[in-house]
Amino acid sequence: MAHSTSTTRSIPPSRSTECRADCIARLRQVALASLVLPALLLAPAVARAREYLQVFVAQPYLELHTGPGRGYPVFHAVPRDASVDVLFRRTEWFKVRTERGVEGWASQAEMLKTVLADGSPFVFSLGDRAGFTSHRGEMGLFAGAWGGANYVSGYASLSFNPQLALEGAVGQFLGRFSNGVTGDLGLTHVIVPEARASPFLMLGVGEVHTEPKATLVQATNRTESMAYVGGGVRIYLARRFFVRGEFKAHWILTKRNRNEEADEWKLGFAFFF
Amino acid sequence: METGIRILLLTALLAALPGCASLRDWSHQRAERRAAEAQRPEPRESEPPQDESAPPRVIEPEVSRRKITVPRIRSSNVELGLNYGALSIEDFGTNPVYGITIGYHITEDFFFQAETGRSRGGRTSFETLGGNIQLLTESERRFTYYDLSLGYNFLPGEAFIGRGIAMTNAFYLLGGIGGTDFAGDTKFTVNFGAGYRIVPADWLAVHVTVQDRVFQSSLLGTTKLTNNLEARIGTTVFF
Repeated sequence: MAHSTSTTRSIPPSRSTECRADCIARLRQVALASLVLPALLLAPAVARAREYLQVFVAQPYLELHTGPGRGYPVFHAVPRDASVDVLFRRTEWFKVRTERGVEGWASQAEMLKTVLADGSPFVFSLGDRAGFTSHRGEMGLFAGAWGGANYVSGYASLSFNPQLALEGAVGQFLGRFSNGVTGDLGLTHVIVPEARASPFLMLGVGEVHTEPKATLVQATNRTESMAYVGGGVRIYLARRFFVRGEFKAHWILTKRNRNEEADEWKLGFAFFF
Repeated sequence: METGIRILLLTALLAALPGCASLRDWSHQRAERRAAEAQRPEPRESEPPQDESAPPRVIEPEVSRRKITVPRIRSSNVELGLNYGALSIEDFGTNPVYGITIGYHITEDFFFQAETGRSRGGRTSFETLGGNIQLLTESERRFTYYDLSLGYNFLPGEAFIGRGIAMTNAFYLLGGIGGTDFAGDTKFTVNFGAGYRIVPADWLAVHVTVQDRVFQSSLLGTTKLTNNLEARIGTTVFF
């Protein structure tokens, strides 16, 4: 190591200041790129350093597909008793790596037949009817009406048990006289969680922000608290999907003499996970 | 009538909620893990009944069963990305648009997608011909859309570069609802479109999407449905 080369030394000192500024700017770009590029290249490598679950093939063979879909061709078969590392899961497909380093996609149905190192079956959450009855969370999208205006909303829920869940919803209503956004948080009680069509009841509180259309007189935006009680039904479709229809009766706690009431009807499409 | 419904619902709810308290299966989300544990052979804690005639055991084996910790399997269903393209705002010309999308893949066929994007409306031909007429202020020309859509993957397949590289890809259909902020008003907007996704690495995807955003507008005198076509290219990262 007799000579150390530095990038700044390669710039001749006799150049004009204009060129020097240009060179410095270019150097900065190179430095930035040299920082960003390894980060991008290393990102998958860092992910690879983690520990993976090892499962053993218990059926005659495990088929590996070239992509995460039913139509992708099978290109490799892992024989019985061989092991695979489960790299990650995407929808109903698992990306696995064999002992020889072959990577491919195995279906959920195939993975159900594998076993762990101690011989116990490999168990994971399935998107099926049992999952519909008992799951950790739900998310969905609704279209409907809020006090006569068009209403778009989304919700997410966290289940404590098959019957009780904490739910939050946000929505936007777009009407002829006013627009606004709503947000609420409440408890949902599913009456018969194991039924394909299971009714539920809801109770909660929220906020509504109303923006009257500017053409009306005394149009001031307002934010008010509200409380709601409601009910609905969720109907299992297939896999992770279900249809959900609900009605919420809101009491809007205004600063005026009378509290207002608003009815919310909506129908939507949701999934559980 | 309405008050009647409210009282009925409230009564039913009050009657149903105490039922939750009596549930024993509170942490049902652990059900799968418990099911797995139940299926595993139990370590023998009690000694087998000793035969009277057999000699007593001298050495007590002190073998503790090794606890296997199962590493969590990472789920990679969320897709987050940026995009850039052109948006044709009806009567207001075609302008650049940039946006963010976040998607969640539910099954191999379906995904949810939330999108937001921003563009700027140009001058209408009425304004151009009319000389000094300004239909909208500068801030009202800002066009912001946001929506939630459901996507369906169809024609999935593989694309090849030479002999060595294969990338999965798919066409997809999109449809959803949302809102559009334009001309000082927020409009209920329906969107539908189609796109193409190619996945060069497990964590990266490139999209080309064409989407139509339809909303009712009465900006130019008559109330009409306006079609606002958007074509964009974007890149997303899977999480």
